[in-house]
Amino acid sequence: MRRGLDIVMGCVAGGCLLACLTISTGLVWSIARRGWGALSFSFFTEQIALVGASGGILWNLVGTTVLLSTAFLACAPLAVSLALMERVWLRSESMKKALRLGLYTANGLPSIVFGLFGFLVFVQWCGWGKSWLAGGLVLAMSMLPTVTLVVLERMAAIPQRYIAAATGLGLSQSQVAWAVLLKQSWGGLISGSLLGLARAAGETAPIMFTATIFAGVTFPKGVVENPVLTLPYHIFILAQDSFAAGVETKMWGTALVLLGLVFSMSVAALPSRLYLHEESDV
Amino acid sequence: MTRVLSWLLSALAIGAFGFLLCVFLFQSGPVWQSEGTRYITGVSWFYRQDVFGALSLIYGSLAVTAVALLLAGPLGLGAAVFLSEYLPQKARLALKIPLELLAGIPSVVFGLLGIALLRDWVYRTFAKFDPLSGDTLLTAGILLAVMILPTMVSLCDDALRSVSGAQRQAARALGLTRAETIWNIVLPQASRGIASAFLLSVGRALGETVAVFLVIGRQDNNLPHPWYSPAPLLEAGQTLTTKLGGAETNIAFGDPLHWAAIMGLGVLLLVLTAGATCLGTLGRRRHA
Repeated sequence: MRRGLDIVMGCVAGGCLLACLTISTGLVWSIARRGWGALSFSFFTEQIALVGASGGILWNLVGTTVLLSTAFLACAPLAVSLALMERVWLRSESMKKALRLGLYTANGLPSIVFGLFGFLVFVQWCGWGKSWLAGGLVLAMSMLPTVTLVVLERMAAIPQRYIAAATGLGLSQSQVAWAVLLKQSWGGLISGSLLGLARAAGETAPIMFTATIFAGVTFPKGVVENPVLTLPYHIFILAQDSFAAGVETKMWGTALVLLGLVFSMSVAALPSRLYLHEESDV
Repeated sequence: MTRVLSWLLSALAIGAFGFLLCVFLFQSGPVWQSEGTRYITGVSWFYRQDVFGALSLIYGSLAVTAVALLLAGPLGLGAAVFLSEYLPQKARLALKIPLELLAGIPSVVFGLLGIALLRDWVYRTFAKFDPLSGDTLLTAGILLAVMILPTMVSLCDDALRSVSGAQRQAARALGLTRAETIWNIVLPQASRGIASAFLLSVGRALGETVAVFLVIGRQDNNLPHPWYSPAPLLEAGQTLTTKLGGAETNIAFGDPLHWAAIMGLGVLLLVLTAGATCLGTLGRRRHA
């Protein structure tokens, strides 16, 4: 009886895991199968035509890249500063705790909230209209907690004796920050940013009111009223449209490209992520 | 110099988030003044008549989250038990990779998968209840379940592994089988961590916008009668996020009361998600 229950438990748990793995690989496979046919050299080098039924996604790729670069440039200095704040400058333990809890909570905020905030502040109050800069800043805000937490985790993993040695050599706090903390944790900034950007690349909600339209623009030439085309918004609009055969293949092709982009960024960050995750629990 | 710079930049970052909170609170002011508590308890939302009751939206959000949790909770916990209790370290890490990849699929692509695979399946499977289409709260809930599954597995796995190995060895030495050890020793000790995994998943599910948007049908004022009736699950509905993501947000801007009602939904959403995430994080910290 007990032996039987033991076996049943193993089977049920194994079945759950198997189901999870089947779902994840099955979904990726079904995207790849449908989108594979659309991929060709010209898909990446042509601009959109016939409302998505023809042409390629050149300017969508460019637009997504513009947004992600802006987000990275705006986010990285802030993330490093916040992490240094927690590690070096803040003295009281309760302030540090409050900052960490704030970061974790902000990390769980829904992205649509950032979109509405950007719509009101940048698009309306600053009068930028839909603009790549508004989108980039909104994405920077949405990924800031993730990036900061990864940098923090990496800084916290630096052995205390490094810092003690640097201080013992007579380095000031700022010098310790540059020579030890930043130097040892720049990998965390890279992998954290990759994780944040991987999430930001697929976000539609924050940019649909602030930065992106479906067709008709190329490279932005200024800030005000200069939206970009993006991959996720392209899929979002086509998904609500009729499923004409031509559109459908192109749509799945775009989804596959977006998935490839996101996966390559998260795979690049994966080793350090799994490693950190394992270590932090010991 | 470094010190001044990091103070300034941190102040900018924290200020931006504080400003976000203030913007939502102040901009939603008029609707709280005009509707009072009716804004939360009111059953109808007709913006042309200036009637703003968000109850059906709150119901929609909670209903899809509940469906997602009911499906993803047991499945994710089961998978986490197998990962942490049955598999050697290397196999565990190898199997976590596909799950991390599932977590990486953008929500708009999930929405697309929902349209292509799930919508028709729900329509056909529940044909005897005569749904109007495959765009239902249930469809959105199932889709959300798949989306929160990786979070669930990963956090439950963390919770289970934070129980010390000595406890397991002691239980096995006393003659308990592996299943008995899991039921009587590991799960009770990890219960706090598991609870916070559920809460953090709830936070994610409540805030998800685009994927839900594409499969929920977006029909206002869908409430169950009586309140426990499951019938609305097979009808189109609306959640807080899909309302905010829809065209109404653009229409509302310019009309102070309507805009305040939209921003008020943002406040509700912020309170719900921040509450779930905050509680989940606190539980996790104390547990670890």
